[in-house]
Amino acid sequence: MTPSAEGSARNPAVEARGLWKTYGEGATAVHAVHDVSLAIERGEFVALCGPSGSGKTTLVNLIGGLTDPTRGVVEVDGDDVGAMSERARAQLRLERIGFVFQAFNLLPVLTALENAEFPLMLRGVEREERRKEVLELFEHIGLGGLEDRRPGALSGGQQQRVAVARAVLGAPALVLADEPTANLDTAASDALLDVMELLNQERQVTFIFCTHDPRVMRRARRIIRLVDGHVERDAEKEPGDLPSWVLEPVGA
Amino acid sequence: MMERAQVIGSIALRNVRRQARRSILTASAIVLGIGLLMFIRALEAGAHVMYVDSATRMGTGHISIEHPDFMGSQDLVHRLAAGDIALAMQEVEGASPPGELGAVFPQVNVGGLAQTAASSIPVRISGVDPELEGEVSFFADKIVEGRYLEPGDQLEAIVGVGVAERLRVELGSRIVLMAEGTGGELESQLVIVSGLFRTGVPEVDRGVVQLTLSTAREWLELDGDATSLSVVLASDDRTGQITQEVRERMAAAGAGPDRLAIRPWWEAMPDLYAGLRADTVQTYIMLLVLLAIVALAVVNSVLMAVLNRTREFGVLRALGLNRSAVGAMVMLEGVVLTLASGVAGMLLGFAIALGLFGDGIDISGLFGEELSFAGAIVDPVVLPVVQFVDVAAIFIIVVVIGILATLYPAWHATRIEPAEAMKTDE
Repeated sequence: MTPSAEGSARNPAVEARGLWKTYGEGATAVHAVHDVSLAIERGEFVALCGPSGSGKTTLVNLIGGLTDPTRGVVEVDGDDVGAMSERARAQLRLERIGFVFQAFNLLPVLTALENAEFPLMLRGVEREERRKEVLELFEHIGLGGLEDRRPGALSGGQQQRVAVARAVLGAPALVLADEPTANLDTAASDALLDVMELLNQERQVTFIFCTHDPRVMRRARRIIRLVDGHVERDAEKEPGDLPSWVLEPVGA
Repeated sequence: MMERAQVIGSIALRNVRRQARRSILTASAIVLGIGLLMFIRALEAGAHVMYVDSATRMGTGHISIEHPDFMGSQDLVHRLAAGDIALAMQEVEGASPPGELGAVFPQVNVGGLAQTAASSIPVRISGVDPELEGEVSFFADKIVEGRYLEPGDQLEAIVGVGVAERLRVELGSRIVLMAEGTGGELESQLVIVSGLFRTGVPEVDRGVVQLTLSTAREWLELDGDATSLSVVLASDDRTGQITQEVRERMAAAGAGPDRLAIRPWWEAMPDLYAGLRADTVQTYIMLLVLLAIVALAVVNSVLMAVLNRTREFGVLRALGLNRSAVGAMVMLEGVVLTLASGVAGMLLGFAIALGLFGDGIDISGLFGEELSFAGAIVDPVVLPVVQFVDVAAIFIIVVVIGILATLYPAWHATRIEPAEAMKTDE
């Protein structure tokens, strides 16, 4: 599994092997992620589900290099995220990963447009080019005309759409989305999910969602259910289906 | 890359504005602190200029030329020959750029006794040339009764108010002065009190008698000799430079340091110099305390701004901004805030020093009855002086405070772990 130029083409988009994340020590230790091994191929559209506290956010943070694993390995495109320097991780996030965080986490001093184009700007994309991309996407997801508003002047749903736009603009290889539809009505979430599906299909962007939302799970082609930090069930499915087990209570 | 730096800068600036209330509070502390600092320095500089001015006009001059041993012996054996005086006067004029030279005058200074029928007291007797020295003499400004010496005076003398009191004399009274002549014998001279001066320096007012140089020379059989030659300059700015130039010229003319001691005022009046240094050190200590308070205000403000925005820094890191960029953003916020308010503070200092107190500030309350500082006369009204070197130093201090005070908050911001930060509630 050594990362190399030829090898990377065959590497999964994300691979975890014996991954643990433990908070605290001894008797009070909490295993937020508990011996997780999985591989997600390029272009997959995956929903991570499971009850609150089951370790979904921690797993996504581990994949994005936002937190260090206690044990095990997590690789993105064959590169060991845990072994990377701080700078290399920042670069990985900047160039290959788009994030949608649970709380919208927009920068309050930037306008909607500036927030959305921020990663593109850091990547050095020309102003004209990135503005064009942002405006197109904004139009598509119902943010047209709101470009110059600061987050404080946007509704929760609008802020969440800006956050999603920020994550998907420039088509990163991988998008990690933590509850992206939690604050949206049906029409708005459908519009966002359409955009994400389109990017997934046309540009092979890999999507990993943490979600409780049946609408997201219906569109997913693979569902991984986490319980107490480990993978309880991992199954592929047809788009549109909603397997009954995803909504079953834990232990049923 | 340029644009990235621009955006980071723009976020930093917008954050300074966004936290307007905190920024204004911090800025006010800096503005007041730096303004006060500037004003205190201007006042001190003004006071020092005044001390030096009055001290040099009491007879020593900015540059004093004497026989090398006269300072220690105070003996007429160690006097300046008429030829050396003429040579020195010529070289001083040659060494001084146009407009720099205030006055050059010889003096005879001896210790002696002043006697009346009622009393006898030790005094310092100065023979001065009213024509050469009158213009710049401090004593001329301090006459409280009668008049200063005039060219052509013979028996006239001016005495301190304390001398008059001790000898119980008034205007028109006669005094007999006694001093050792060049031959080593006691010589006496009758003088008539023509003026009384009050300088505010007790040792001067209680112990100085001045008569004309010509009378002193005749009395002590000095011919054209004198004990010292004093050079008063238009300002103190070039004292060191001109002293050096005169030394070189005199050495070239054959009057080297073994024959003539050419001293700037800080060598000729070491007590005054030490006093000024001690005063400066004291002021610096006070200013350091002031600066520490200003620095703490900046640390506090920037650190609070960082702590309140933990989540935001977490987001920036998660989006791919590296630690150093986050640190730079915080540094920029602190430095911009400090610099802008520091400059405003300097302007405030200028305004107070030159606007509000441009006509001088009365500091007589600080000194009480005795208006003296290390033997120098103190004018109760000080004109603040803003020196370029102080402006530059304060500006550098402001920049350094901005950087130092922001280092810790910036370091703290670089330590923020994105996953942890995004869990925090704001």
